[in-house]
Amino acid sequence: MRLHEYEGAAIFEKFGIPVPRRGVVRTVEGALRIADEIGFPVVLKSQVLVGGRGLAGGIKTAESSDELEKSADDLLNMEIKGLPVKELMISERVKIAKELYMGITIDGYSGKPVAVVSTEGGVLIEETAKHSPEKIASVKIDPKLGFYPYQAQKLLRQLGLAPKPLTACSDILVRLYKVFEKYEAIIVEINPLVILENGGLMAVDAVLEIDDSALFRLKKSLSLPTDNRLGNSLENKGKEIGVTYVDLDGDIGLISSGAGLGMASMDIIGNKLNPANFLETGGGITADLLYKCMELILMKDLKAIFINIYGGINPIHEGAKGIVKYIKDHHLTLPIVAKALGNHQEETWEILRSGGVHVVTQAATETAVDKLIDLLK
Amino acid sequence: MSILLNDDTRVIVQGITGKIGSVQTKWMLEYGTKIVGGVTPGKGGQTVEGLPVFNYVDDAVKETGANASVFFVPAIFVLDAFLETVDAGIDLIVIVPEHIPVHDAMKMRDYAKDKGTLALGPTTPGILSPGKGKMGIMPASLFAPGRVGVISRSGTLSYEFAGILSEKNIGQSTVVGMGADPVVLCNLPEILEMFENDADTDAVIIVGEVGGEQEEKAADFIAHNMKKPIASYIAGRFSPQGKKMGHAGAIVRGSAGTYDGKIEAFKKAGVTVLESPVHVNAWAEKHHLR
Repeated sequence: MRLHEYEGAAIFEKFGIPVPRRGVVRTVEGALRIADEIGFPVVLKSQVLVGGRGLAGGIKTAESSDELEKSADDLLNMEIKGLPVKELMISERVKIAKELYMGITIDGYSGKPVAVVSTEGGVLIEETAKHSPEKIASVKIDPKLGFYPYQAQKLLRQLGLAPKPLTACSDILVRLYKVFEKYEAIIVEINPLVILENGGLMAVDAVLEIDDSALFRLKKSLSLPTDNRLGNSLENKGKEIGVTYVDLDGDIGLISSGAGLGMASMDIIGNKLNPANFLETGGGITADLLYKCMELILMKDLKAIFINIYGGINPIHEGAKGIVKYIKDHHLTLPIVAKALGNHQEETWEILRSGGVHVVTQAATETAVDKLIDLLK
Repeated sequence: MSILLNDDTRVIVQGITGKIGSVQTKWMLEYGTKIVGGVTPGKGGQTVEGLPVFNYVDDAVKETGANASVFFVPAIFVLDAFLETVDAGIDLIVIVPEHIPVHDAMKMRDYAKDKGTLALGPTTPGILSPGKGKMGIMPASLFAPGRVGVISRSGTLSYEFAGILSEKNIGQSTVVGMGADPVVLCNLPEILEMFENDADTDAVIIVGEVGGEQEEKAADFIAHNMKKPIASYIAGRFSPQGKKMGHAGAIVRGSAGTYDGKIEAFKKAGVTVLESPVHVNAWAEKHHLR
């Protein structure tokens, strides 16, 4: 679960990381009120959960009430990468001497947290990683022992900082690790960490993404809404019924029983047809779940449905009952191709055929895709 | 010989009394796996499929001589049960459940490495050696005995490959699911090394996906350490960039872990790159695999 900047900033503040004075608003009037409290100039930042909002024009500054009014109105009527801007964070504008980057994420291969720092803070950190790797330093962390000031200092020394900011930065990095640990983060990031003209430090952005699988034990301490956080209502609905749903532009509904199989199905469909979605059930198939999956994908206009499922842990014969019940309840006449193999496969085929589904019994997904293309001719 | 499973493997099922645990136990037994008991805290003294159930792993080990364990434990209890199992001296652990917190997986990996315990998963279908036995949830009907090793990051794609090969009478020595999570307990090169050293495996198929560095590291290992023919398929070529496709392991971020990067690494290491799973047949024919 990715947190909004203002939610992340509140957590950073609680852990002793300096953040700007700020407020969150949904209206122009609200923005004026916050700006009056903290004083001009201010920065207006769109609170949307996508990367690259600065480059997309989602961040503005204002020196006066007039300017603020116009900018707030512009931003609140704007969409960034398809997401409407509903909330703005109004924060004090700080005097920047230098920008740094610091983040902690998980190195999948070693299975350890990794702290990453760079002298090149700002929006182009990915470019820096590609073109000037020497400006980036990183260190892996022993998850048992945690992260200590000397390790943070050793890492930051590689950036050639003066002694005073170095000590202060390492203090912030150690605190950031505490946030990472406590909130079971996939990633925490301060970009930029600003060295102010007066020598102080301030975290001017806050990125915090929490592991969804850990939410069951974090919900209480978080006191944040955990539902309906995705920008797309169908994607939220998918989360609600317990599947991964990614909305796409095409007109072929796709249901698979695994992420790998779903991705392979998309690869094989390739440019021949256009998937309307990616839906992956994981290991929890029931008749009810597949009924709901059908309901979900059919919230869009579809030309056909492609189902690719295996019975390993999943009782696919139960799933088939849900699919056929949906077809019968809604008198569905769309072409549906299903490849279903594994435990209870014969029973599954029989049930699917009773609903008019075109069943493919060979293992290669190509065969099923060819069948679908055939039906659409 | 196959890898991981052999005649001396004695398996316990953790979470054996659960709905999934009990059904899968039946299927593992039917496939000929030597299952010797199960563990569910608070259910000690019961039996499932005629097998004794214990409260504690160390009791199960003492009474049955178990040396391997397969998990059907609810995700929130897996870390605790895993540490208990490592401490009980089990050599091989298969973690089937999905949705295990990644910070737990980091601790599990660390502890298993410290104690020298081999573990697969989380989110793995397990291991299947055709005709010999299986630990996990792989549907037996899709597999056939033979001499091709398969190692897959995705569970369902391991079935797809086994199914495609078996239809053409190309059998498998062992099929291994590594686990689909961003942090897994055993990395790709470790499994590749076992296949390279296995006298019953002639060639290996790697089924990867976008995201992470497993395939890049595997390519490096292959270039320096492997002689057997290897083919690889990477899922996710047409996945939208930056979208999360189910498992965090499949996140496409920046240039690290991209389809192109992985393909390039494999080609450089002399691995045959398959554009689609079904192309595995042509590769198998070329290498006269059975």
